Amino acid sequence: MTAECHISSLVVHSRPERVASIIEGLGLIDGAEVHGGADTGKLIVTLETATESQVIERINAIQLLDGVLAATLVFHHFEPVQERE
Amino acid sequence: MDLTRRTLLKTQAAAAAAAAANVTLPASAQNILTGEDLHLQWSKAPCRFCGTGCGVMVGVKDGKVVATHGDMQAEVNRGLNCVKGYFLSKIMYGNDRLTQPLMRMKNGQFAKDGDFQPVSWDQAFDEMARQFKRVLKEKGPEAVGMFGSGQWTIWEGYAASKLMRAGFRTNNLDPNARHCMASAAVTFIRTFGMDEPMGCYDDFENADAFVLWGSNMAEMHPILWTRVTDRRLSHPHVRIATLSTYEHRTTDLSDMALIFKPNSDLAIMNYIANYIIQNGAVNREFVEKHCNFRLANTDIGYGLRPENVLEQRAQHANDAQVSSPSSFEDYAKLMSQYTVEKASELSGIPKERLETLARLYADPKVKVMSLWTMGFNQHVRGVWANHMVYNLHLLTGKIAEPGNSPFSLTGQPSACGTAREVGTFSHRLPADMVVNNPEHRKHAEEIWKLPHGVLPEKIGYHAVQQDRMLKDGKLNAYWIMCNNNLQTAPNTNNETYPGYRNPANFVVVSDAYPTVTAMAADLILPAAMWVEKEGAYGNAERRTHFWHQLVNAPGDARSDLWQLMEFSKRFTTDEVWPAAILDANQGYKGKTLFEVLFGNGEVNKFPLTGIDPAYENREATAFGFYVQKGLFEEYASFGRGHGHDLAPFDTYHEVRGLRWPVVNGQETRWRYREGYDPYVEKGAGLQFYGNPDKKANIMGAPYEPPAESPDAEYDLWLVTGRVLEHWHSGSMTLRVPELYKAFPGAVLFMHPDDAARRHLRRGQEVRVVSRRGEIRSRVETRGRNRVPQGLVFVPFFDASQLINKVTLDATDPISKQTDFKKCAVKVFAASVADAGDVQ
Repeated sequence: MTAECHISSLVVHSRPERVASIIEGLGLIDGAEVHGGADTGKLIVTLETATESQVIERINAIQLLDGVLAATLVFHHFEPVQERE
Repeated sequence: MDLTRRTLLKTQAAAAAAAAANVTLPASAQNILTGEDLHLQWSKAPCRFCGTGCGVMVGVKDGKVVATHGDMQAEVNRGLNCVKGYFLSKIMYGNDRLTQPLMRMKNGQFAKDGDFQPVSWDQAFDEMARQFKRVLKEKGPEAVGMFGSGQWTIWEGYAASKLMRAGFRTNNLDPNARHCMASAAVTFIRTFGMDEPMGCYDDFENADAFVLWGSNMAEMHPILWTRVTDRRLSHPHVRIATLSTYEHRTTDLSDMALIFKPNSDLAIMNYIANYIIQNGAVNREFVEKHCNFRLANTDIGYGLRPENVLEQRAQHANDAQVSSPSSFEDYAKLMSQYTVEKASELSGIPKERLETLARLYADPKVKVMSLWTMGFNQHVRGVWANHMVYNLHLLTGKIAEPGNSPFSLTGQPSACGTAREVGTFSHRLPADMVVNNPEHRKHAEEIWKLPHGVLPEKIGYHAVQQDRMLKDGKLNAYWIMCNNNLQTAPNTNNETYPGYRNPANFVVVSDAYPTVTAMAADLILPAAMWVEKEGAYGNAERRTHFWHQLVNAPGDARSDLWQLMEFSKRFTTDEVWPAAILDANQGYKGKTLFEVLFGNGEVNKFPLTGIDPAYENREATAFGFYVQKGLFEEYASFGRGHGHDLAPFDTYHEVRGLRWPVVNGQETRWRYREGYDPYVEKGAGLQFYGNPDKKANIMGAPYEPPAESPDAEYDLWLVTGRVLEHWHSGSMTLRVPELYKAFPGAVLFMHPDDAARRHLRRGQEVRVVSRRGEIRSRVETRGRNRVPQGLVFVPFFDASQLINKVTLDATDPISKQTDFKKCAVKVFAASVADAGDVQ
C-alpha cells in the first residue's frame, strides 16, 4: 500500500481557564500542532497523520482533553508520501 | 512530500479552520484551494444526515464524489463539519450497494418463501402492480400503504403523497419522522396553529441561557453545539443547563447538568411554571394579549393495542387529544401542586438546583433558548412535554424574538421540509392542511386538478399502527422507502417482523443498501441517493435548501422520485377510482395515474431547456420535462400567500437556502413578531396568526407515570439513542470504514456498581432482556456515556444487536410517536445463561 500523508485542521473550542493545559495536552498528541486562537478559546489545530482513521482517533483524543468543549474538523487533504520525495 | 509542501498544506489547513472559526492567525493564507482541488468540480449541497442542515461543498472527479468540505458560505455551519459530514463522500460507495431490483423467486416466479434473485425493473414493477391491484380489488384502498421518510427530498414526498392519497385513495402514508418528531409537530399546531419553530439558529448568538431538555447536542448536533459553545466562550455571563436521564458529552460541557429520573421532566417543567407564577414573574400583559389557557384531558393511556390492560384502564385513551378552555386561575391551581419538594422527589434533583434552573426562565433579563430532541419527543407524554416548555416561554413572554426561543431540533435532514411541510403524515396535506377537513381536501383537489371527491377523508394508519395492521393482515400491499423500519420501530420481533413475513402481505423496500428491512421484504428496489439526484431538503429552522444531481447512481439504481412516477404509469383511473367519480368526470376515464397526477399541465409545464446545462438530471430526461421544478412549483402554490411562502424554484439553486416564509425575496428569521415577520399586522407587535384569534395556547397538564417502569424482575430502565459516529440505523455510516472503526459495535452502557452487583466485567457479553425480547451486547462501564444506577443505555445503530426487539411499542396517545427512552429490562451474563438457564 502506498504510504500517505494526511493533513487536517480543527477548531478546538476550549474553556478559557483551561486553554494553557489544553495546549499542553495537544502537544502530547502525535502530529498535532497549535497555530493560534488561544486568546478566544478557539484553538486552531492541525494534524499530520499517516491514515484517515488516525484523524478520527486524534479528534476523539482531543475531545476527551479536560476543558475541551468541541473539536470540529474543517479541512482535510491527503496525498501519497512518495510523490514528491 | 517535501517539508515545504507539508508546511504549505498545514498553513492552508490552519487558515481554513481560522476562517471557519472567525479567528485571526498571525500569518494567514487567503486561498484554501490546493492545486489538486482545481481538478475537481465543486458544487453545493446540504449534508445528507441530520436536521441541522449544514452546507457542504461536494467535489466530483470523473463521475465520482471524491471529497467534501464544510461550505464557508453556508450560514448554518460556516465551513465546519462533524465527522459524519466529513465522510459524506464515502456513503454512496459501500461494497454492497444495491444496483438492481431483487425479488423473492421460485421456479422463475415470485414466491413469498423464495430467495432473492435479480430481476429487471419491468419484472419488478409488473409483479408489484399485480399485487397492488389484487389487494385494491379484494380489500380496497385501506389495505394499501406506504412508509416514507424525513430523508425523502421535498418532491419525492410530494409525489408519494399524490400517488397514495389521490392515486390509490388511501391516507395510509406515514413517514419515519413519526418516530422522530411527531410530538413536536403536533404540539406546534396545538399551540400556535402552525407547525415549526418561530425562531431560528440566529437565536444561538442572542441567548443568555441555553436549556437542553433531553438532547445530547454535543454528539447529535455537533455543529449547532459549536455555535452554543462559541456564544458561551465569547460571553462569560451565558449559562448552559442540560437535563438528561444520564451523563454524556453535553452534560460534561454544561454549566449545570441535571440528571432526572425518566418521565419526571413533566414535573420539573410544571414546577418551573409554578415558580414563575408564585414569584410574580408572569408577564401579565403578554399573557392577556397573546395567550389562551386550556386544560388537557388526563389519564390518556399509552398508545398500546386497545386490548392492553393499560388502555382498558385509562379514562381518556380514546379522546386523548381533547382539551377544554380554561383560565389562568385554574391553570395556576393545577401548577400549584408542583412544589419544589414534589419536583425534587419525583426527579431526584436537589431543590437548590431546580430553583437555579427556574430562575433562568423567571428572570425577565435572561434571554432563554430551550432546545430539545428525542428525550422530549420520544415520550409517552411527548405532546405534553412540548406544551410544558412552550408554557414557560409564553408565561414569561420569552418567545419569537432574538434569543428568546423554544426550539425543537430535528434528527432527519428533511423532517421539516418533507414530512411536515409537504405533509406525508397519515393525517396531513401540504401547508399544515389536514385530510379530515373537507375544505382542505377541496383546495388540494383544485390545485392538483382532480375531480371532487377523489381525496379520502379517513385518517390513515400511523407508523406503529401500520406495523400492527400488517401483522393482523389488514394492510397487505406495502411500500417502504428511504428508511430502515425493521431496525428502528419498537418491539420489532412481535409487532414489525411478523407483518413483513405475513403470507397475506406483499412488502416492497426501496433502499440503497441491503438493510435488515430490505432483507425482510419480498421485493427490493435499488435507490439512488443524495447527490445522485436533484434534491431539496428543509432543515429545523425552516430553511429550504437545494442541490443538483452531481453524479449518476450505480447500475440500475434509480431515485425514489423516478420509482414513484414510473410505477404510477401502471395504473389507470378505472382500476383505482370509483365509477361514480369517473362517470361524473368523463375526461379522467381511462387515463393512467401518471397522466392525471403528473401530466396535469402543472407538474409537466417546465421544459428540459430550463435545466442548468452543467448538471445531469435523470428524472427529467426520463419523463421529458423538468420534473423537480414542476412538482415544486405546484407544491409551493399551497403555501404562497398563507404564511408558508417559498421562493421561486430557480432561486434555491443560487442561494445557501432560505427560511420561509419568503416574502418579496426576503426570508423570515423570527415569525409572529412585527418588524421580522411580514404577516404580522402593522401596529400589532406580535400575533400568533396560525390561530384564528391570533393567540397561542397555554396547555395545563399533569405529571403521569410512564407505561412501564422497572420492578423486582426487570429492574433497570432501558434508554436507546445514537452515538456521534453513526447516524440512526447506521445503514450509511457503518459503510464508511473510518466511522465503523471509530465505533464498530453497540455496547450496553451501565453504572460500574450495577455491573459489580451482577458480577459483570467491562467488555463481558450479556443478555439484555425485556418482556418482549432480548439481545446480546457487551458491558461498557466507562466511555462517553455515564449512566446512573438503575439505568442502561444501548445505541440502536448496530444491526447485529437489534435493541428494538427489546423496546416497548408504547406511544404518546396524541402524537402516536413511540417512547424509545423508557422500558424495563434485566441484564445478566450471557455465559451464565448458556450454561444453565435454558429458556
